[in-house]
Amino acid sequence: MNLTPEQQELGRRNFMRALAGTPAVAALGAAAAVKGPVRGGPVRLGFIGLGGEGRLLLEQTDPRYGEAVALCDINPDQLKRAADALVKTGRAPVAHHADWKEMLQKERLEGVVIATPLSTHADITVGCLEAGLHVLCEKMMAWDGASGRRMAEAAKRARRVLEIGHQRFYNPVYQAAYEGIVKAGLLGDVYHARLVWHRNGSWRRQADLPSPDFTAAQWGYPTFDHLVNWRLYKQYSRGHMAELASHMVAITDWFFGSTAETAVGSGGVYRFKDGREVPDHTYVTLEYPGGRTAVFTSIESNAFDDYYEAYYGTKGTLILKGEIDAYLFEEGASPGESKATGIAVAPKTGPVGSASESRAADAAGAGKGKGAATGGGDRLAAYRHEIDGFCGAVRTAAPLKCGPERALASARACIAGFEAVERKTRIGVEA
Amino acid sequence: MNDRPPTRIQQAALVLLRTLVGWHFAYEGLVKLVWPAWSRAGVPLARFSSASYLRSSTGPLADAFRALADASWLPWLDVLMAWSLLVVGVLLMLGLFTQLACAGALALLALFYLSWLPTRGVYEPGTEGNYLLVNKNLVEAAAVAVVFAFRTGRIAGLDLVLARRRAGESPAEA
Repeated sequence: MNLTPEQQELGRRNFMRALAGTPAVAALGAAAAVKGPVRGGPVRLGFIGLGGEGRLLLEQTDPRYGEAVALCDINPDQLKRAADALVKTGRAPVAHHADWKEMLQKERLEGVVIATPLSTHADITVGCLEAGLHVLCEKMMAWDGASGRRMAEAAKRARRVLEIGHQRFYNPVYQAAYEGIVKAGLLGDVYHARLVWHRNGSWRRQADLPSPDFTAAQWGYPTFDHLVNWRLYKQYSRGHMAELASHMVAITDWFFGSTAETAVGSGGVYRFKDGREVPDHTYVTLEYPGGRTAVFTSIESNAFDDYYEAYYGTKGTLILKGEIDAYLFEEGASPGESKATGIAVAPKTGPVGSASESRAADAAGAGKGKGAATGGGDRLAAYRHEIDGFCGAVRTAAPLKCGPERALASARACIAGFEAVERKTRIGVEA
Repeated sequence: MNDRPPTRIQQAALVLLRTLVGWHFAYEGLVKLVWPAWSRAGVPLARFSSASYLRSSTGPLADAFRALADASWLPWLDVLMAWSLLVVGVLLMLGLFTQLACAGALALLALFYLSWLPTRGVYEPGTEGNYLLVNKNLVEAAAVAVVFAFRTGRIAGLDLVLARRRAGESPAEA
């Protein structure tokens, strides 16, 4: 999705206009109006898995919300980088562990942030929950429906918070789009969504052995490459569907208010025949109740489209691009036309705070005076909000924005999508 | 002069007034002491400090209160203030040592009033209305004065229980 600067400006303006006066992301604490504060300091967190995602979460942890108490990774190099990240963000060094169970025994933790390979999510999450810890687990929630259920049930049993790292739910752009556009009905009836994540790279990562005597085998990985590039191997990964689509499908479920029933798939390893097992080209059509369809494509051969979600309604089109920009176009008017949108903005009720307006401005990206090509900085805010939200839920039982049920539903669709690609057929999504 | 004791409804109103004032004091104190704490919406709360309040003092005594804001022992004063509010509030709610609690409440309210004396008659940042000489601190002080004057601990509360117990123990009053 590449819009001209004029189209971007028009779409962004429409989005902002439609949001004007809506509570958007604010008022989430309204239910707390008659309750006093809850005693407690920052949540004492352990970080399990400190690859790129784990380090990002560590860096984005606001020390007022969460205190990094210990780090855990089987790769000592990752631990070193994480320790550097702590120092870089002005925080004190903390204990390092290679084994998460050892970390649980030795450290006084309240919660953990898990960013390990997909295949390990369930065991680590359930182990931590059963040890009485709250868990923020990276997406995709679980390897299969059964392990996802196991995680959700363990959280219920242990009465602990389990949040899944679909950070878009904590992104003001998406919150504003849902509250101000989707929920307000400004798109009309939406029958189609396009979910795109196109890249032009191998997805293969390079890393040096942490030390000559390091053996990945002791941790269950036959080679060091399997450990570093676990995303490329079916033993640990569900490919694009788990690593990329699950974010977009979770949002689409939210916007559609339903979950996918079937998945039709195609794709394969077409470009990078380097021993990888998961497709480098993925095409999946998810069919929702009521004739709604979401089409996800991810390719590793062209990055022109970058990544976005687009929702096509009978009255309008909403495009959420790169997690930082939002565009709204009236159906029937060419996005290139400079005329104002004809979408009626219904008078909004409810609490309207300056905070929500600034969030909305933030959300559209227009408030910062940047073009659509902007990226990076604001996208990270969603991670920060996600960890803040998790810690807040731990301390005060404030509601989660994603939660295990929603994450599990999107995971099931993505698992079906992955299998549909494997078999190049249509597969029912596990109910 | 009518020396008849207050009617039941008057007594109930007085005790209600005392309880509400007590709740207000106690909760103000509790919130200041509960740190570190989070709002129910899941946001960490900043630690209580009276510094910003003192720095924005108004009225003829403003300079003295502003000077307090930078005192090294202000954190101790904050803790003392919070405990004072809590203790006074709880005593008022319980109706225990009510007269003493009223005196404490009046002293605290006098401090608050004098540190932010409304002499300008227009809206001031941090307030929710327009005040000239009379503000909510002064009104609450008047309410406490009423509670004090009617000795409401003797109407209902632990003071009444104590008084009855003492009366029961005293042969002269038996």
